[in-house]
Amino acid sequence: MDSWRYEPTADFDKTPIERLKDFPRHPDLLIYTARLVVNLAVRAVLRLWTRLEIVGRENLPREGSFILVANHSSHLDAPAILSALPLRMIHRAFPAAASDYFFTNLPKLLFSAVVVNAMPFDRKENPRQSLALCRQLLDAPGHILILFPEGTRTPDGTMAPFKPGIGFLVAGSTFPVVPCYLSGAFRAWPKGRWLPRPHKVKLLIGPQLQFQDLRPERDHAVAIADRLYQAVIAIQTADGRRRTADTRG
Amino acid sequence: MPAEPFMNAVALENPVFRSYVVVLLGLLIVAGALIALLRFGLRRNVDHAWKAYRGWLIIIPMVFAALFFGRATTIAFFTLLALSAFSEFARATGLYHDWWMTGVVLLGIAAVGVVSYVDAPDGGPHGWYGMLMALPVYVTAAILMIPILRDRAKGQLQPVALALLGFIYMGWMFGHLAFLANARNAYGYLLYLLIAVPLCDIAAFTFGKLLGRHKLRPNISPNKTWEGAIGAFAVSMALPWLVRFSFPELGTRELLLAGVIVGIGGQLGDLSISLIKRDIGIKDMGALLEGHGGILDRVDSLIYVAPLFFHMVRYFHGL
Repeated sequence: MDSWRYEPTADFDKTPIERLKDFPRHPDLLIYTARLVVNLAVRAVLRLWTRLEIVGRENLPREGSFILVANHSSHLDAPAILSALPLRMIHRAFPAAASDYFFTNLPKLLFSAVVVNAMPFDRKENPRQSLALCRQLLDAPGHILILFPEGTRTPDGTMAPFKPGIGFLVAGSTFPVVPCYLSGAFRAWPKGRWLPRPHKVKLLIGPQLQFQDLRPERDHAVAIADRLYQAVIAIQTADGRRRTADTRG
Repeated sequence: MPAEPFMNAVALENPVFRSYVVVLLGLLIVAGALIALLRFGLRRNVDHAWKAYRGWLIIIPMVFAALFFGRATTIAFFTLLALSAFSEFARATGLYHDWWMTGVVLLGIAAVGVVSYVDAPDGGPHGWYGMLMALPVYVTAAILMIPILRDRAKGQLQPVALALLGFIYMGWMFGHLAFLANARNAYGYLLYLLIAVPLCDIAAFTFGKLLGRHKLRPNISPNKTWEGAIGAFAVSMALPWLVRFSFPELGTRELLLAGVIVGIGGQLGDLSISLIKRDIGIKDMGALLEGHGGILDRVDSLIYVAPLFFHMVRYFHGL
């Protein structure tokens, strides 16, 4: 008779907190369940409280890994973008979150690791290593990376230029980059407020871009960051025009 | 105690609860002083003892808080403990890779908590005792359904067996402790068990250190000795008389049995978890509390003792 084979999980001798801090995270039944339940609730709250509207879902690639890029104005951004994805995808979607902010205390850690499944991004000490981690995530099939290339939430509602890191990440790769624009999120939950106000939030998803002809060099990276910035601005302007037309018509 | 005895308002008026608060405070102070004496007076290395002591400083207030707030929090606390203990077991054995098996057992353990809390449909005291006794039937049936629904046979006996052991031992047997919150003398039984079982452990360790010569079970737990086991048994036999105020309703026969159950059962429970760890080839079941290992390493003896004590009291005295 064969003897039994025990395969302890890779993280069996870690404390729950160490497990949450680990990245890449090991799939965990309880975390997946909690994430599913909380995300369902978050979707309901976003729909009711901030009347979230999602336009352009058809622009999301059907398969393969891809990157979503958006302007960053509030803590609603990542949950709002996650709401645009089918529920079964939320465990494979990783919003990059500043490791110096989102992984520092237990409530933030629970939010980052359990609810939004955030990838800790070291924007201060070692951004290069974090970009390598992004690439590693994208190499696995069907992973979605959500990036806010401004690097921080806007203090005043205006969009800051995109940092070139995103350019280094996608230059020369075939991963589609999908630009998104979030409107109303700043009014709903500006930096410094404790809880969101019931202000309408709209997520507009634009057509995808690819940068396989460019090389991961400084000037190319800066150009890509700028192209993406312009793409987000274009979505914003188009939406503004449509809205004016609506009110006139 | 009255019919709804287990409430926060009652806890402070309950002489048993109050006495145990005093006893535990006293023990903590004495133990702290001993460690300080060894460290500063005799310049001994007390790192290990100090880590374990710090763990107790967290565990003991948590247990008292759960009991203080009443029946619901006590049942919730022990149910959470059972869920975590099973999760550790599942992670260590690898059963955790099988999400259906793990999920069914976790639901089964949650059900133990629920039937401990709700009243039986036909009335009677709190807690649905009949359903608690029937639960292993339903959970076993559910566990065996999983490979059948998957239409898979190869290698299925191992997860089925691990899930059954996990539910019966860490869920259902341990769940008896939560059900004790429904007893008329809930404070007395729970606090006695929660203090007697770790004391038996500590006695075994101490006697083993001081007098240990002959290994108890070298293939399972090489550090345990017969001398430690006998010392722990003696301490456990004496304890029910020392804390007789906990259960004035119990007679000599019950006190003797309580001593035997804790003195022998506690050590068997310890060895049972050691046996599992030894077979897997790991040292601790988890890493929740520094100096204590995982939850299973802490509650190993309690799992074995709680249901035996429960049925002994229920048989001779009724809950």
